Amino acid sequence: MPLFGGKHKTPQELVRTLRESLIYLSQCRDRDDKKAQKASEEVSKTLNTMKNMLYGTADQDPQTEITAQLAQEMYNHDMILLLVTHLDRIDFEGKKDVAQIFNNLLRRQFGTRFPTVDHISTKKQILVILVRGYEYPEIAMICGMMLRECCRHEELVRMILEFDEFYNFFAYVEVSTFDIASDAFSTFKELLTRHKILCAEFLEQNYDKVFTHYQKLLNSDNYVTRRQALKLLGELLLDRHNFTTMTRYISSADNLKLMMNLLKDKSRNIQFEAFHVFKVFVANPNKPRPILEILLRNQEKLVHFLSKFHNDRSEDEQFNDEKAYLIKQIKELKPLDEQH
Amino acid sequence: MAEKSHWSNKKDDYELLDVIGSGATAVVQEAYCKPRNEKCAIKRINLDKCNTTVEDILKEIQLMSQCHHENVVTYYTSFTVKEELWVVMQLCAGGSLLDIIKHRIRTMENWKNGVLDEVTIATILKEVLKALDYFHNNGQIHRDIKAGNILLGADGSIRIADFGVSAWLATGKDLVRDQVRHTFVGTPCWMAPEVMEQVTGYDFKADIWSFGITAIELATGAAPYHNFPAMKVLMLTLQNDPPTLDTGAEEKDQYKHYSKVFRKMITECLRKEPEKRPTAKQLLKHEFFKKSKDKQYLMKTLLSSGAPVKPQKVKRVPGSSGRLTKREDGEWQWSDEEYEEEEASAKYRVMESLKEEEKPKLDQLTDPSQEHHPPCFYFSSEGSDSETDTRPQTQHGNVTTKSEPANTDPAATSSQGGSQSSSGEPVVKHLVLRLRNDKSELNDIKFEFTEGQVAANLQKILDSNEHKCLVFGLNSGLGHNEVADDKNLRGFAQLSIVDITSDGGNKS
Repeated sequence: MPLFGGKHKTPQELVRTLRESLIYLSQCRDRDDKKAQKASEEVSKTLNTMKNMLYGTADQDPQTEITAQLAQEMYNHDMILLLVTHLDRIDFEGKKDVAQIFNNLLRRQFGTRFPTVDHISTKKQILVILVRGYEYPEIAMICGMMLRECCRHEELVRMILEFDEFYNFFAYVEVSTFDIASDAFSTFKELLTRHKILCAEFLEQNYDKVFTHYQKLLNSDNYVTRRQALKLLGELLLDRHNFTTMTRYISSADNLKLMMNLLKDKSRNIQFEAFHVFKVFVANPNKPRPILEILLRNQEKLVHFLSKFHNDRSEDEQFNDEKAYLIKQIKELKPLDEQH
Repeated sequence: MAEKSHWSNKKDDYELLDVIGSGATAVVQEAYCKPRNEKCAIKRINLDKCNTTVEDILKEIQLMSQCHHENVVTYYTSFTVKEELWVVMQLCAGGSLLDIIKHRIRTMENWKNGVLDEVTIATILKEVLKALDYFHNNGQIHRDIKAGNILLGADGSIRIADFGVSAWLATGKDLVRDQVRHTFVGTPCWMAPEVMEQVTGYDFKADIWSFGITAIELATGAAPYHNFPAMKVLMLTLQNDPPTLDTGAEEKDQYKHYSKVFRKMITECLRKEPEKRPTAKQLLKHEFFKKSKDKQYLMKTLLSSGAPVKPQKVKRVPGSSGRLTKREDGEWQWSDEEYEEEEASAKYRVMESLKEEEKPKLDQLTDPSQEHHPPCFYFSSEGSDSETDTRPQTQHGNVTTKSEPANTDPAATSSQGGSQSSSGEPVVKHLVLRLRNDKSELNDIKFEFTEGQVAANLQKILDSNEHKCLVFGLNSGLGHNEVADDKNLRGFAQLSIVDITSDGGNKS
């Protein structure tokens, strides 16, 4: 059965149909009435045709000229904004097609230019809507897919990090539905790790705000949140780009106390991740006084604790080397009055 | 769904009922959702015990949640309960088609002439094809199509389960690019030749091969070569002409009443060259499926046949062990003289010989009694590019063993009954070797081991009941920038003993 009654619609026609149906759908009060249902079907059908146009099908490869026309029509009619604004009105398969279309457009490249990135840069609402999509279970994962595609582009990440909405992620990663929380976390992680220099700058400039929020994740009641947040913290601190942030983090006695508590968490995974943050405090050659005081106060206990810590990881040489190093360091700590 | 509340994310809203399936670090239970007054299946995964990262689990759930199809098990929600992840899914009360086949084999007199009739098979398989067509349109390969993963609802509906091994061809990536995967996943009997060979990579068509094997399974009660060890299955699949209905027949004309059109459909699916196999969409138009009927028909023929379907213990006939090697002229050679070989190791050899690239190497099992530490896998660097490996050999043998406390693991109790055979038959252990491939994706290689057979060394591990899961270091398999991490199985692999009582249930 041919999808479009024998005659292929042009990109212009497709965009017009999609636009009209979507606007109707977004305005109608009763989504169950016949006309609304028809519009909804039309939207899904058109989105599917567009997707096939961009990606090609088993019988037809995508045609450069047609895809270029379609992209241009989408920009001209502000279709990306319209689609993400009314994403919740589109049916299940249609939503997936929106993400596929969005991601394909975002990957379009001419030389060093990405026309869709340029387009989105002028309409930051698109990104705000995508971020806030995590608040709506029925579109959360779809928005996540699109956001992660955006994360490939430094310009877009820079914009997102500047939003107040960025701090909403600290709530999104803790929602009770595991898939949404984890999806939000993977986007959050992309935002903070993908573009190293940008991320390092961001963390330095917003240190207090970010780490005040971050502390809540490390103390979360949710096991997955705690484990994921701790793991990411370790990665962030050990990335040499984030040297300034790391130095600041390991100067705080509160941070050290938290890690020492997490070393004793009942989950082995959390203990292990905490170890990888804790080691940075100890390895620091210029430990500030409050840090030294804590370590000295707990000197014996720490040596005893570490010598028994995860001893069954005998095959993990790096871990064992690091652990031996930490024990040595702590043993050799000199009382404060002997130091200069 | 509009009039009902959303699926709850609160533990207390669910009442856990019978265990319907279990694995090394997960168990599937029937459950009752109180606010909705509805039954469901809950897969409970212990996140602190399993070596899969949260990211890997998320991928599987994303995959499931992005499938809305009447022939795919529906995902409802997921949430954490302390260190466990609970994945709430649709319950398929009829169990798996494998359960049904096993039940029939035990109760039918003339099952040797065919377990299911053609009309039933056509009806089931047509539904499976609709699901496959949906998967494939979504850019997804299931990779483990078999009777054990086809579930039957109380209303006679057919649904595909187990996304554990399925993977996106392209995760949010271009559907055109990245079209071919290079991973080694599935269950040997159902595995397509190109998946075994790992030379060219494979695509959607690998599912069509498994679909053809499943057709034979539904008719004869088992996949062709089911009575051979995994090694031999690989060899037979690669070397022989594609199997047919009669491949496993013990007597001539045993399956004579199955029609030509059915046989023809199977032959088309089981072409060795993937490009010659039809797509799911093309198969839906195949003449054979004109025989298909509806749900009510399946309800009548499959569900009303007496005993309620409970997961049955899967027992397969043990075979010999041996070694498969590729000769210089490219021919596959099977040698049985290595009788001492343990199956895991033999299996691994195949992967090695199949794929010429450097792979982590599991060479032989040492005798644990000669060591002072826990049971060991010994890794030899012989024959591999040992230049890059500077670690002393003695370091490789160490193994972390983890025991699962019985109080958090209903699987442990259910499995105890399953591991003992009262009739004195050899007990088959199901094992899963989990490791990362060269793209850093996790792969599960399932195989069986028969207690009391050839592998004295593995036997010792099995004898100590506590060790259900072994993690061991690998000589290679780490990327340049990767740090060995046993939790995430980077530079490590995990061997787990799965006391499966059934391949079916709502595993996913």
